[in-house]
Amino acid sequence: MEPISIAMIADFFHPDVGGVEGHIYMLSANLIRMGHKVIVITHSRPPDRVGIRWLLPGLKVYYLPFVTIASGATLPNFFTFLPYLRTILIREHVHLIHAHASLSSLGHEGILHSHLMGVRTVFTDHSLFGFEDAASILTNKLLAGTLRNVDAVICVSHTGRENTVLRGELFEQSEDDPPRLVVSSNVYVIPNALVSKRFQPGLLQKSDTITIVVLSRLAYRKGIDLLVATAPRICAAFPNIRFLVGGDGPKLIDLLQMREKYLLQDRIELLGPIKHNDVRSVLIRGSIFMNTSLTESFGIAILEAACAGLYVVSTRVGGVPEILPEDMISFADPNEDDVFRAVSEAISLVSAGKHDPIKAHERVKRFYDWAQVAERTERVYHTVMKSEQRDLWDRITRTMRLGRYAGPIYTIILLVDCLFFLFLEWWMPREDMDFVTHHWNHRRFASATRGL
Amino acid sequence: MSTKIPPWEKVLWKNQPYPDNYIPEGALESSLRKNPNFKPYTYWPLVHLSVAITQHLATIFIFLSVFVRLKDRSLDPRVLIFVSLGCFFVGYFVWEVLQYTQSFGGGSKHGTKRNERMKTLKSSILIFLALMSLSPVLRTLSAATSSDSIWALSACLFLLNILLADYGSSSSVAQARPERLTSVLSMNAAISSSVVLASRLSNDLAVFALIQFSVQSFTLFPMLRRRLQVPMQALLTFALSISSLILAVPLSSTITFLFLLVLLAITFLAPAVLVWAQKYKNEIRGPWDVAVPKVN
Repeated sequence: MEPISIAMIADFFHPDVGGVEGHIYMLSANLIRMGHKVIVITHSRPPDRVGIRWLLPGLKVYYLPFVTIASGATLPNFFTFLPYLRTILIREHVHLIHAHASLSSLGHEGILHSHLMGVRTVFTDHSLFGFEDAASILTNKLLAGTLRNVDAVICVSHTGRENTVLRGELFEQSEDDPPRLVVSSNVYVIPNALVSKRFQPGLLQKSDTITIVVLSRLAYRKGIDLLVATAPRICAAFPNIRFLVGGDGPKLIDLLQMREKYLLQDRIELLGPIKHNDVRSVLIRGSIFMNTSLTESFGIAILEAACAGLYVVSTRVGGVPEILPEDMISFADPNEDDVFRAVSEAISLVSAGKHDPIKAHERVKRFYDWAQVAERTERVYHTVMKSEQRDLWDRITRTMRLGRYAGPIYTIILLVDCLFFLFLEWWMPREDMDFVTHHWNHRRFASATRGL
Repeated sequence: MSTKIPPWEKVLWKNQPYPDNYIPEGALESSLRKNPNFKPYTYWPLVHLSVAITQHLATIFIFLSVFVRLKDRSLDPRVLIFVSLGCFFVGYFVWEVLQYTQSFGGGSKHGTKRNERMKTLKSSILIFLALMSLSPVLRTLSAATSSDSIWALSACLFLLNILLADYGSSSSVAQARPERLTSVLSMNAAISSSVVLASRLSNDLAVFALIQFSVQSFTLFPMLRRRLQVPMQALLTFALSISSLILAVPLSSTITFLFLLVLLAITFLAPAVLVWAQKYKNEIRGPWDVAVPKVN
């Protein structure tokens, strides 16, 4: 494929830490390695992450001055992003934008504006949402409005795809008789990956104690109630079991109380918050990884644990059943008895020596690889670039079909956006812009830093 | 190499010979469940549940009619005081009877019961005296505010009271729930509303009678109401509705008609609408929903 210029847009990016942030960085780095030019557009983190920054390997990051409202997301306001985005996309000669995460309003706005500059759009959804509460209903409608005119959608798991298709109304009436609803052909599934080199299994140490590792945010959604209920039972049933719990959150108190109540201070070790760099060193201290999440789109933590050679016990929720073959993971229904059963089975399996960490690591290494993910994403970009762009009238008719009330509202936003764009074309003409002519030169960087 | 393509699997770890946007026929529907724990409502049980709202509304209507009569001096405040005292004793008697019949197997000690009764007596006398001494203050508290503002304020407060009131029932003693914040707020809204209304009355005795009546009908009566059993509930609803209408008739026929309409709509029409609207219920569930952990 011809090298193209890609802009990743998301509210969530470095220096924040998380699944989406890591995904964007790794994908960008691998796309750069394949010869594409990639920039990232996100909001600023005052006082020090403002303006334009470079990250290795030659990833340019635009930190735009937007104020965040909650958990690192900006307020959706539909128009204020356009002046910045127009300037950046034109200066950088961007062909395609790739927006991430359905709660990132920067990403939504990017998809809304890009067609004005003739830039193509791809969207990646990272999370699962329900349909029942008021917040979900509102964000789902917002998502449906945005995804009406997107060129391609990527989901991180098959369960995630089902969810996104329903939330974003990404299906069409087929032409056969009687008409059926068919999922649009521009919805792809490309999983996350992990850097398997960073999760080498540790050396085997012969000892009778088996350590169960739990690494998670200690919150309700991560099923800490199940952990609190089962840990004392496991400790009582197996005297050679120790627990290692890493993470912080509102449910920490429950864990502390449980430990106090059952006098398990010497069996359950609480490590507090763990930096991502230290995850491996915690993982290799144990041989079983326990995940009690109540909802999980992909479950990268499980993958990291499996890669580090741990046997995994997890609740059967969301996309977790898809990520590993059945013989590397034990599933439990989200109730106390079944989690206890699954952990007991895992303990007997591990103590019988039937789980080989080195072999597990080799297998996971083959399953997931960022270079492969970047290749598959590039194929999506290629398909998008080849396809014809929708014209404005097509966009208006598609938007109007969104619903009796939502349709006209989104159409008005679309039209006002066009007028705003025309105003900007007159106010800040393209001829006056400073175009980017110099790109990252890794050889020069290497020679310049050699002396340091 | 075999020419046969292996069937598609819903897994991510395998590199499958299918494009990334491939979805097999029916894969979307297979994991989707519509209305999984759907229990259709039937009409009469809903009417039963709506009775609590009707009672609450009727109480407010009665209170308003009483207030109007006190304001235009067609009702002697002393009569109101005696009537509400009578209601208090009747209500207390009913409460005791319910306590006796419902906690039959409970086996609570005789001594603690007597203690509780003494406590109740003490606090009711205290409230009685406090209200009496405070009534001049309450009368002049918002006297400087214009009547228009008072009507608007009290209407808003009563609306708040209706919206936040606790309409649940706890017929058995064992399930006596702790008061929730909303129901406490609701009670406070009703009392505040009667306090601002009291400023429109002409003498202290009338103020005292009104506040006392409001305390009884908005704090004590709902407690009693929740304990009543089904046949009693129906009877009580009927009695309250009829008395609210009878009290409203001499004031204005339009108001009476409005009261009647509201009471009928809440009791009979609203459940019917809910039963009818169920056919539009479309709840989608799938593997993405947050699981509910079951802990023994």
